[in-house]
Parts: sequence; C-alpha cells; structure tokens
Amino acid sequence: MVADMAASEAAERRKASGEGRKSEARVGTYVYGIVPADVEVSDDAGGGVGGPSAKVTVVRHDDIAALVSELRLDRPLGTPDDLMAHEGLLDATAAEVPVLPVRFGAVVTNPEAVVEELLAPYHDEFHAALDELEGRAEYVIKGRYVEQAVLTEIMEERPDLAELREQIKDQPEEATRDTRIQIGEIVDQAVNAKREADTQAALDAVTPVATLTSLRDPSHELDAVHLAVLVETARENELEQVVDKIGERWAGRVELRVLGPLAAYDFIVARGTGGG
Amino acid sequence: MTVQPAGGVAQRPTATGLADVIDSILDKGLVIDAYVRVSLVGIELLTIDARIVVASVDTYLRYAEAVNRLDLSESGGQGLPELMQNMKQGMVADKGKDAVEGVLESAADKLEGLVGGPEDDQERQPSRRRKDGG
Repeated sequence: MVADMAASEAAERRKASGEGRKSEARVGTYVYGIVPADVEVSDDAGGGVGGPSAKVTVVRHDDIAALVSELRLDRPLGTPDDLMAHEGLLDATAAEVPVLPVRFGAVVTNPEAVVEELLAPYHDEFHAALDELEGRAEYVIKGRYVEQAVLTEIMEERPDLAELREQIKDQPEEATRDTRIQIGEIVDQAVNAKREADTQAALDAVTPVATLTSLRDPSHELDAVHLAVLVETARENELEQVVDKIGERWAGRVELRVLGPLAAYDFIVARGTGGG
Repeated sequence: MTVQPAGGVAQRPTATGLADVIDSILDKGLVIDAYVRVSLVGIELLTIDARIVVASVDTYLRYAEAVNRLDLSESGGQGLPELMQNMKQGMVADKGKDAVEGVLESAADKLEGLVGGPEDDQERQPSRRRKDGG
C-alpha cells in the first residue's frame, strides 16, 4: 500500500512536470491561511497536507500572502496526518506572526488563482484583520470532569438518586432499564447544569486577561469547560496563572488543560456576517 | 508575578492531539468558497464526526452504571472535600485519565477506519469502557 502510493506519486509528478499546463487539474493548490507578506517558511517546517513531499510555500501579493502547498487530487482529504499537518502549520505560524486560518480542505487550481481571486480582491479586508491579530493568539481552555468525583457531587446534591440506586443494586440490567434511564437522565441534567456554572466561572476568570472570548460546544459528555480566548501573547503568563488558579480550585474534580498558542480559529468571522 | 503555582494542575501539552485538532479546523476559520469562486477545486473530504454531545439512552445507561458502581464510602461524617481528596489519591484519577484517553484513541481509530475503507465504523460506540467487576 505504502509502496504503491510512493510509486504512483513519483509517476504523478513525472506526469505533472511533463505537461506544462495542468488543465486536467490533477494537482491543486492547498491553502492554509493568510499572513503578512514578510513571512518566510523555514526550511525545517514539516510536510504539508498531502504528505511529506508537500512543501509549504508563500504566495505574495502586496502586503499580504497565503501559505500554500501543492496537492495531488487523486484521493479524498482528511486523514489524521492531513488534519495534523494543517493545524500544525497554522499553530506554529500563529506563535510567531498573525495568521488568518482557512478552514480545512480549501483547494484552488493554482497559485495564480490564489492571488487573483483571494489576495488581490480582498487585500484590504485581510490586511485589516491581520493588523487586529498582531501580537495576539488563541488559546483553548478545556476542562473534563473526573467522572467519579462529579458523580459523587451529584449524589450528594440529589438524595433521590441514592434511592433509585438502591432499586437497581444487584438487579439484572434488563429488569431495571427504566430506572437506569431515569438515573441517567438526572445525572445528565446535573452534569449539564454544572458545565454551565463552571463554564461561566472560567469565563469570568479569564475575561480580564482576554481580548475576546468565545464559547465552544462541548466535545464530550463530561466536558466541564470548552472555551477559546484571544490573548496578547505577552500576557500568556497571566492567562496561565488564572487558569492554574481555577485548576487548583477544581483539583480532583476537573482536569484542566490550556492549548496554545493557536491560530485564531474561533475569532475569524465569515464574510458578510459582521466583524469580530 | 512569575511564581509557578504548586501542583501544576493545568497541564500544558506541547502538541495538541487529534481530537483537539478536529475541534479547531473542521468547522472554523475562513471559508474559501466565500471568496474564491472561479478557481475553486472541489475535493472529497472524509467526513468526520467525532462529537458525542447529544445525550442518548446509551449515555443515560452508562451514567446509571457508573452511579451503580460508585463506591461512596459510607463511613458517615466524612465531608465532600475529604471524600474527593481520598478519591483523588485512589484509583479515581487514573480512571478519569483512562476515559479521556479512550475517547482520544477512538477518535483516531475512527479516522483510520475511514481512511482504510468505507467500513461503517461511524456507528461504533466511541467511548470504550472496560467492564470492571464489582
């Protein structure tokens, strides 16, 4: 499988270089994001979307530029490697310079089209957005309940659960299905209420150090907090201190992580839906 | 102001995991279609739905089982903070970690399954759970 791919890749490249015009669109230009024009891609940057041979380059127009790489169009996109390559490049970039992340999977015909249809017509719009991001990056705060701890809390708060629990104790699952569902619903509602309260507490704590905040949908039923913040990179330490303080307060009941610096995925508002 | 809080509760991983990546790049960021029209290349995207947010009967039954297994020390008089402290020192911390890793793994499994072929892996229960006796 791997050998086959390597062989066909080589054949494809020969073919692509043989034909001057890629009118069949066998190869496209993958677009990662938009950056200021003075950005350079370092040589040690890893491969892009589409494998290690996909070399990331910069297409410039005036004051702005796009990070792109060549992409073969003979397979669907979205393998774990593709996803990691996309975000890896954007986050590494965001740690250094402002970058407008493009949603995963953006492909245009060639680098000239990137200039003509993306960079040139929207130059001022992108330039203004990059200015706003100067010196700032996104961080994501993720908290996950420690199941046993949060269930213990809920049992304390809901005495009716203990009673229901007695009813299913040592009973076969089939015989107690309704009671189990009833227990589960109560727990689920209680977890949701806790998530709401804990998310608000986290939001209140980080708001003073953040330029912007944005709530994310929970990505797991035991999520306690899922929050994106735009922070001046110079204040990263302050953010960490604030989050550590919450983490200490929640020790044993919530596992808290900070991801970042990341590209500002949660703060790029689509065209026509207003600025952020 | 640079004092490092003891304990280091909030961890700072050097790299984000696949599950974190999925949350960031699939439905966020600039949508190229809003800008580029003529030279857009349509390419098939592997559909990924790693989210398991909507509570279902499965979720309820799982919670019920967890409640059933929950070992409340009935020694009485023990306050909640103490109780949680004990649990933290015991097996609970490990279990929480297992659950988190299980979900991350299964998100990755799912992606690999999709890449390998169009098997209907999507319906699989994402969170694997060992059945501990007792």
